[in-house]
Amino acid sequence: MTEISYLAVGPVAALTLGVVVILLVEVTWKPPTAWLGAIAGVSLLGGFILAVAQWVEASDDPIIRFRGMLALDPFAAFGAVVLTVLGAVALLVAWPLVVEQGRRAAEFIALVLLALAGMILMAAAAHFIMLFLALEVASISLYVLAGFNRHRAESNEASIKYFLLGSFASAVFLYGVALSYAATGSLSLYDTAEFLGETVLLDSAALLAGIGLLIVGLAFKVSAAPFHMWAPDVYQGAASGVSGFMTAGAKVAGFAALARITVTSYGPYISDWAPAVGAIAALSVLVGTMLAIAQSDIKRMLAYSSIAHAGFILTGLVAGIDGVPYVWFYVVTYAFQVLGAFAVVSVVSGPSGAKSPLTDYAGLAQRAPVLAGSLALLMFSMAGIPLTAGFLSKLYVFREAVDAGYLWLAVLGAVASVAGLFFYLRVIVLMYMSPNGEKSPAPTDIRVGDPVRLALTSVAVVTLAFGIVPGPLLDVVTSALPF
Amino acid sequence: MGFNVLSLLIWLPVAGAAVVIGLPRRRPELVVPVAFALSVLTLGLAGFLVFDFETANGGFQFIEKTAIAPDLGIDYHLGVDGISLFLVALTAFLFPISILASVNVADRRKEFMAAVLLLEGALIGVFLALDLVLFFVFFEVLLVPMYFLIGLWGGERRLEAALKFFLYTALGSAFLLVGIIFLSAQANDQFGSPTFNYLELLNLDISRSAQYWLFGAFGVAFAIKVPLFPFHTWLPDAHTEAPTAGSVVLAGVLLKMGTYGFLRFNLNLFPEATVQLAGFLAALGVFGIIYGAAVAIVQPDLKRLVAYSSVSHLGFVVLGIFALTSQGVSGGVIQMVNHGLTTGALFLLVGMIYERRHTREIAAYGGLQKAMPWFAGFFLFTAFASAGLPGLNGFVGEFLILLGSYGRYPVLAIIAAFGVLLAAVYLLWAYERVFTGEPDKEENRVLSDLGLREVGILVPLVALVVLLGVYPKPALDRIEPAVERVLDRIEDRTDFEPPLRIDDIAVVPAEDDQ
Repeated sequence: MTEISYLAVGPVAALTLGVVVILLVEVTWKPPTAWLGAIAGVSLLGGFILAVAQWVEASDDPIIRFRGMLALDPFAAFGAVVLTVLGAVALLVAWPLVVEQGRRAAEFIALVLLALAGMILMAAAAHFIMLFLALEVASISLYVLAGFNRHRAESNEASIKYFLLGSFASAVFLYGVALSYAATGSLSLYDTAEFLGETVLLDSAALLAGIGLLIVGLAFKVSAAPFHMWAPDVYQGAASGVSGFMTAGAKVAGFAALARITVTSYGPYISDWAPAVGAIAALSVLVGTMLAIAQSDIKRMLAYSSIAHAGFILTGLVAGIDGVPYVWFYVVTYAFQVLGAFAVVSVVSGPSGAKSPLTDYAGLAQRAPVLAGSLALLMFSMAGIPLTAGFLSKLYVFREAVDAGYLWLAVLGAVASVAGLFFYLRVIVLMYMSPNGEKSPAPTDIRVGDPVRLALTSVAVVTLAFGIVPGPLLDVVTSALPF
Repeated sequence: MGFNVLSLLIWLPVAGAAVVIGLPRRRPELVVPVAFALSVLTLGLAGFLVFDFETANGGFQFIEKTAIAPDLGIDYHLGVDGISLFLVALTAFLFPISILASVNVADRRKEFMAAVLLLEGALIGVFLALDLVLFFVFFEVLLVPMYFLIGLWGGERRLEAALKFFLYTALGSAFLLVGIIFLSAQANDQFGSPTFNYLELLNLDISRSAQYWLFGAFGVAFAIKVPLFPFHTWLPDAHTEAPTAGSVVLAGVLLKMGTYGFLRFNLNLFPEATVQLAGFLAALGVFGIIYGAAVAIVQPDLKRLVAYSSVSHLGFVVLGIFALTSQGVSGGVIQMVNHGLTTGALFLLVGMIYERRHTREIAAYGGLQKAMPWFAGFFLFTAFASAGLPGLNGFVGEFLILLGSYGRYPVLAIIAAFGVLLAAVYLLWAYERVFTGEPDKEENRVLSDLGLREVGILVPLVALVVLLGVYPKPALDRIEPAVERVLDRIEDRTDFEPPLRIDDIAVVPAEDDQ
């Protein structure tokens, strides 16, 4: 039995290979952008197939490889499957932006693929150092993507803000790792779990401080309150075409990492960390909802709503390992929804633009029925109206919270979802019922390109299909558990 | 059973909505006939249901059950009993009428009809669902088409009204959802597996204090829907701003989801809390009767007047249900149907006059019976039915409710009886101001009387009003076994005793008319 497993790094290798080929091809032949897209598509497809192979292999026999560095388990495989699909949809959404970049398109695509590789590793890491490296690979790629439009001040501001606060969060995370190591003497997630399972710590202060700092570091990455300050500025400042990917990808990977370390390494200490997670969840739901109501720019509104959704997802995590499947269900369906919402924004307000005032959406139903219909569906889903995935996600996480004894958190979440209707419905009202739209003399038609149309269709299918027939996804997520 | 009639009742209108949306844009004249035909087909299914229903059976019939998410205990589980049977029938009956009343909708007619059909499917689903998650899904999802009906095709203040409607109801649903989740968590503790199956949840042993909280969580959601004072403030706006079809459906069926919810869930699942809180809710109902009637009297707007009269009439239903006697609850159920018919008819009538004059101000009219004798006749007839004139349907329900509640809450019943009087005041006074006297305004002299379509809309309503007024026995025969079952359950589970059995004297008035 060898410690090396090529399958364990398969999806990451496929993506990294794609990055190398894209950059080499670009400097050698300067091909048309479409070719680069095709290469990215092939490497994503390869990553996807290998991720499915991981799933098949690991569901019988989960295992840790590379001397305790990487887990080859259903949890990691599912993360890789989701992230490769998400990456493909994100590239479709960003395609008008990519084309706009001209000769810099290759860098852009390479950064997206690199960020994805980092995110996949975050879901698979079984060792704190590996996790930290993965986190940095993903984060640094995202910092650059946020500031990719270097001629625009908002874009630079977003990038700097993201970088400074992000590095700070990474430092906090690292400090947490150090304290945890001091308390347990191990950097492996699984050795830590084993140690804590069979040892009674006389003084657990260092360990608890370490867990706390780890949670804070990752709460920052998933933009949970009170560590959310950067999110609205960054999502608004970044080009609309890529904000959705930044939100969705960071959420999937961040929650995967958070779920794995809390339920495996610190599983025995659930009664200590679950209240902290519950408090962050409650605060995120409240802050995100309240501040979203006050926004007049749709990107900022979506950013604050993503903070509220981070809170809802954390609501499922207070149940520990029992809640993990439903955290998956929520984060996966939400990732596609937020990607779709930003896709609509990138069409309506331009793929490279930063500002997208809500007034742009007045009468959109007449100008672009497809966009308005998709956005309305996504708004209903994010608001948690039944027959959409958003409703079932909320139902499941609330149920887990009630089962775990956090009834107050479920009540708070349910009431906050009602308050959330204010801003979700406002978008729908503007698009469908706005008198402005009827008055404008010659409403300009908005052209929706084929890649974006394809992306929106897939997002709508995911949102509706898993909202009406959740069975297949539930079957998968209930077995997508960490080793 | 050869076919799943309950599923068909829900999904035929939903499929119909898709068909209507799919009609070619070049053929706008097809929209109304197709939508109408589909809703008539649904009505036919509902008629089949009523006749195929086993009369003496108090349990659920036509049960359908398929697991959706076995791990979580969510099923696709439908069934009908005497309580839901007539609400389904009422829903199926009012929709073809509403569609026929909306032929003049010009703006986005396809979308309008699709929303109406979606609403029909979801409403029928609410009354048929026996799985709490399924119930909640229908309960919540029907907000969407209703929201668009008010917000897109409503009156001048439609946006505000639509938002208010949505937020009020959604706030109630939030508590309902948490209550449902809590019940399933209790089931997980007691049965070892989570379930949302209503029939299984009936076997739960819920502590008294938990019953109070759950009663409150479910109760708030339903009280907003009914609406019970003080949760009623969304209703006048929503009813007034909605297009005619929307108002008919809102008043006719949507409000009944609240009283149905109380009867189906609160009384059965939380019997101890019900017995303790019944007096309070009955008092709220009576307050609503008087308050709604008093406010209706002073309304200058005809549609708002009808809207407030709903608050008053639904107060009767609540009083009947929480009297917890056989007559009271049966009267409550039949009064739900009666109110749907008469208030539906009143909204249709107001809509017809609005289409002609584009105002709902009572002061703008006067002496209309000269120009529109048929219209005046229908209006007066409906007003009598609504005010509870003996021989028409409103009397049967109100009489049973007052009879049933007198034994338990004599004071409340006496106060409620004044509500009947006040109903006569606001309706007849409105009739006087709108129809009698000399037409002093030129526009009112030249109004055209009802056309064939409009008479065709009203005649079925009038026929049912008379039928249920003189011969309610077939309906009561089907309702009573289910009601008895609810009350027996409460008596089994608590130390509650029915106040004094007045079965002997409470012969249903229908018996006399036979």
